[in-house]
Amino acid sequence: MSAQDSSSGVPHLPGMEVRPVERNVYEVQIGPAHPGSGHMRIIVELDGDVMVRVDPDIGFVHRTMEKLAEGRDWIKNIPLFERMAILDACNITLPYVEAVEKLLDIEPPERAKYLRTLLCEINRIASHLYGMGIFGVFLGHSTLYMWAFGDREVFVQLAEDLTGARLTHSYPVFGGVRRDMPDDFPENARKAVRYMRNRLNEYAKIFLNNPNIRKRLEGVGVISKTRAAELGIAGPNARASGIKYDVRLVEPYEAYPELDFEIPVFEEGDSLARAWMRVEEIRQSLNIIEQAVDWLEKHPREGFMHDKFWKAAPKLYKDVYEGNIPYAGKYRVKLMPLFATLKVPAGKAAARVEAGRGEMFYYVESDGKDVPYRVRVVSPSFRNVIAFKYVMPGHRLMDLPTIYGSFDYFPPEWDR
Amino acid sequence: MPARPSLKRVPRATFLGRAIAGNLGALIVGVKYFIDPNRITLLYPHEYIKLRQGYRGYIVLIFDKCISCASCARICPARAMKMVTMEVKDKKLNRAMKKKYPVINYNRCIFCGYCVDVCPTEALYHVPYHDLVYLNMQDMILNVEEFQKEPEFVTAKEGVPVTYVFDEKRGLVKVSVEESSNQGSSSQPAGGGGSS
Repeated sequence: MSAQDSSSGVPHLPGMEVRPVERNVYEVQIGPAHPGSGHMRIIVELDGDVMVRVDPDIGFVHRTMEKLAEGRDWIKNIPLFERMAILDACNITLPYVEAVEKLLDIEPPERAKYLRTLLCEINRIASHLYGMGIFGVFLGHSTLYMWAFGDREVFVQLAEDLTGARLTHSYPVFGGVRRDMPDDFPENARKAVRYMRNRLNEYAKIFLNNPNIRKRLEGVGVISKTRAAELGIAGPNARASGIKYDVRLVEPYEAYPELDFEIPVFEEGDSLARAWMRVEEIRQSLNIIEQAVDWLEKHPREGFMHDKFWKAAPKLYKDVYEGNIPYAGKYRVKLMPLFATLKVPAGKAAARVEAGRGEMFYYVESDGKDVPYRVRVVSPSFRNVIAFKYVMPGHRLMDLPTIYGSFDYFPPEWDR
Repeated sequence: MPARPSLKRVPRATFLGRAIAGNLGALIVGVKYFIDPNRITLLYPHEYIKLRQGYRGYIVLIFDKCISCASCARICPARAMKMVTMEVKDKKLNRAMKKKYPVINYNRCIFCGYCVDVCPTEALYHVPYHDLVYLNMQDMILNVEEFQKEPEFVTAKEGVPVTYVFDEKRGLVKVSVEESSNQGSSSQPAGGGGSS
């Protein structure tokens, strides 16, 4: 494509879109703000303060996770991928681990499945609270921001007790998990669950039922069921528009088939429904945590790593798990040295899970070497960002942060 | 029992009811926390968190246990751990020989703990603290001698150790370590392990 001049005579680079600009329409560029918070630019065309055209311009920081994965050993990709959405680390890495397990033809033992589910739900709550906190900031409701981030600390602490790290847990590994829960974990988890249930009612009072906030959310950024399906929106945003789709529902994984919980679905499809959606999801996640903790407490502490690996383990590994070595900690599952040089049989596998923001999909291809031949990631935020282009026009400029916040959009996640 | 979808509705109310009840509800909650705030802020460095054993903090090498297998350097996803060759005296053979030992570069370390977990002889362990300051980047690259010492935890000399305990009414409550051990709320002792 040859270079063209815009109406103002400024030359455009090849590949850039050139369009005539209306006389009364002016262009505002919103963002990028900060690489960590949202390195996205939204180009908005305004007629007065009504948005007539919105162009989410993604792609400022390309970290090329998929390409980096092709040069690293299989296990080293777990800490790599969790950096896509660091606040939802277990959900982000779990489908990769599941896909590699399919290639290895192994399945984790039941206890490991429950432990993974437990951490996934802790991560989901932490992720939703993060989203709600940022939503509060967008609306100038700093109380919600403080509360959500303060309450998130409760679940980050739970995750730290379970895994030893606050955010980058690297918890699921091929064939199992890296650690069992500490002795006082069930009691702490139940306290956290009871606290959060009460707290959600207060969230409703101070934020969701607050008339000032409702005025800004109700009927803003409405996506109909058909439109949501058309655009391919994923996760809680799709369910807020009435689409009964959840990976835990259509293709249950890990311990989800054995747990009793609901998938909340709203029909309104506006910003308020998306905010309520998150609250209802937190409620269901709390139920799952309770059930998982009950199960883990009742069952003996065995089966946290697939027999294929655990049978090869020397006695010292069992000593570490039982806490016989004073400095080594307790209930720690040691990684077998073969993990460092793992060769995965040639083949193709795909796996998906329901992450905090929607469906997380991995396609993994192996050619039998110690590094993957190809890893393809489809993240929910990438699927959700298209909605901005279709939902925002027609609204006023101050509805932009409302819609942006209600989508719980996390730019680093699509940047893979 | 598998998951089931359940249709929910956003709570609706009449405009008047919403305006009065909604505002009143928000105000009451605000006043409640104005009178009885729940603060979890840490006054660092006057207070510091005493982390539990099992926290993936800084890493220490137990020299005598290392068998030079290089698993730790092989599995390190950030290439922070490398093997260096050293001349050591073998006790059994009673002669000098060259062996490889791990060193760490904290500029690169991501504290994933893979090296500690993969070590077949448990020659590496975590110390449960993470808030260390180095004066320059060169100091963050440790040699074998430095890697064997537990790093100096300056905050522990200056501040009061606190810990967070779970509470069903207030979420997390900050208490001093003595209080928490009296309550028996932390079943696992916080603190590092002894080296060899």
